[in-house]
Amino acid sequence: MNKEELIQKWLDHELNTQELEAFKQLEDYEALTKLDTSLKYFKAPEYNTSENLEQVMSTIKTDKQNNINWLSAAIKIAAVFVICFSAYYYTTTLDTTINTIASQKQTVELPDASIVELNAVSLLAFNESSWTNNREVTLQGEAFFKVAKGSRFDVKTEDGIISVLGTQFNIKQRDNYFEVICYEGKVAVTHNAKTTKLLPGDSFFVLDGKLFTTEKENQSTPSWLLNQSRFKSLPYREVIAEFERQHNVFISLKNIDDSQLFTGSFTHNDIEIALKSITLPLHLTHSKIDNIITLKRE
Amino acid sequence: MSKPLNDNICEERLFSSLFNKYSEDLNNFLFYKFGSTLSPSDKVQEAFVKLWENCGKIAPDKAKSFLFTTANNLMLNAYAHQKVVRKHEQIKPKFSTNETPEFLLQEKEYHAKLNKAIANLTEAQRVAFLMNRVEGKRFKEIAQLLDISTKAVEKRIYGALKKLRKDIEEL
Repeated sequence: MNKEELIQKWLDHELNTQELEAFKQLEDYEALTKLDTSLKYFKAPEYNTSENLEQVMSTIKTDKQNNINWLSAAIKIAAVFVICFSAYYYTTTLDTTINTIASQKQTVELPDASIVELNAVSLLAFNESSWTNNREVTLQGEAFFKVAKGSRFDVKTEDGIISVLGTQFNIKQRDNYFEVICYEGKVAVTHNAKTTKLLPGDSFFVLDGKLFTTEKENQSTPSWLLNQSRFKSLPYREVIAEFERQHNVFISLKNIDDSQLFTGSFTHNDIEIALKSITLPLHLTHSKIDNIITLKRE
Repeated sequence: MSKPLNDNICEERLFSSLFNKYSEDLNNFLFYKFGSTLSPSDKVQEAFVKLWENCGKIAPDKAKSFLFTTANNLMLNAYAHQKVVRKHEQIKPKFSTNETPEFLLQEKEYHAKLNKAIANLTEAQRVAFLMNRVEGKRFKEIAQLLDISTKAVEKRIYGALKKLRKDIEEL
């Protein structure tokens, strides 16, 4: 066996007794043993497996807890942000809504100083945050508009859209009843995809789905702003409906044709006078129990 | 071929057994390769923590190579961050006092030379050689740990021995 093989075997701790003897005879033997003993000083420091394992396990466990804590804290913070943001978003983008109940009138000033007079049992909604880009209000019921000069101003109703540029006009949109009267400036009414332009004094009137042409309006403001309701050849039921709204009562008709036409007016200030105004011309009598008024033929 | 079924490193029992099996070898490997300056045992712990974090993704039979690679990379990163001198000799040799001063001096010189020579070995040579000489590991065991062939281990160790002897003589 040659020297190299012996050294290889020695390195691999594989020498048998015979070979070991041969190895000891080598001239390199002394140098190799010296090297080998000195190398013992290069041993890695004592390693304590169980102690290290313990440390790793504790790191793992605290890590896990930390992760959970961190995650749950993050979720909490995120939730707070989401709530704050949505509340902010909700309140700022929410439409401002103004509602009037029976026998109540209200003046509303829009963000651009346009004025809306809201009649009884009506609803007006607009969005304050998008007002500068989009002058748009939603209306249910009756209102008179004094629009400040500026860009396009839209009023959306169930029966159509009214677009204007600085003007005064009245909209009355009730069941089966849609009327727009222009008092100043110019108004465009879009009804059933058809646009009609109104000049001062013009009116647009749809009753039960039928378009009527009416006489020129010569008043400068709608009568209801002066606490009066005026009617010109209108079905009696419209008069009754308006009366109910203005005086917060319920009216039942007995043996009365509610489609007969009525011309006249009633006041909003005094219910007794108002009742007389709508009953006397038709020769009706009235009796009142609580909030219910019954009308009968004489 | 039996495929380990329900074996999952995420299970603490298996994780601990892996730790007991490999942590010391890994620690020594790092020590022989990089020296003691950057606390190999910390890197061992870090590597095991990483193994735990990825326990679902690593098959148990891949755990060893994951650990060695991870720990090695951790060490390399640490070295990249701070240029440190590698120090390999751990235990200062004690020289018995009943020797002649001349002998003591010779011994000291020899150790200094040996230290320098070991530092001069390539990393691969040093790791294999010290595992073999200091830990008393057989070629085959080293081959398994380092994922190389026995022949390669043999070559590295023999090469290291030759280089050491030559260096010591020259110095």
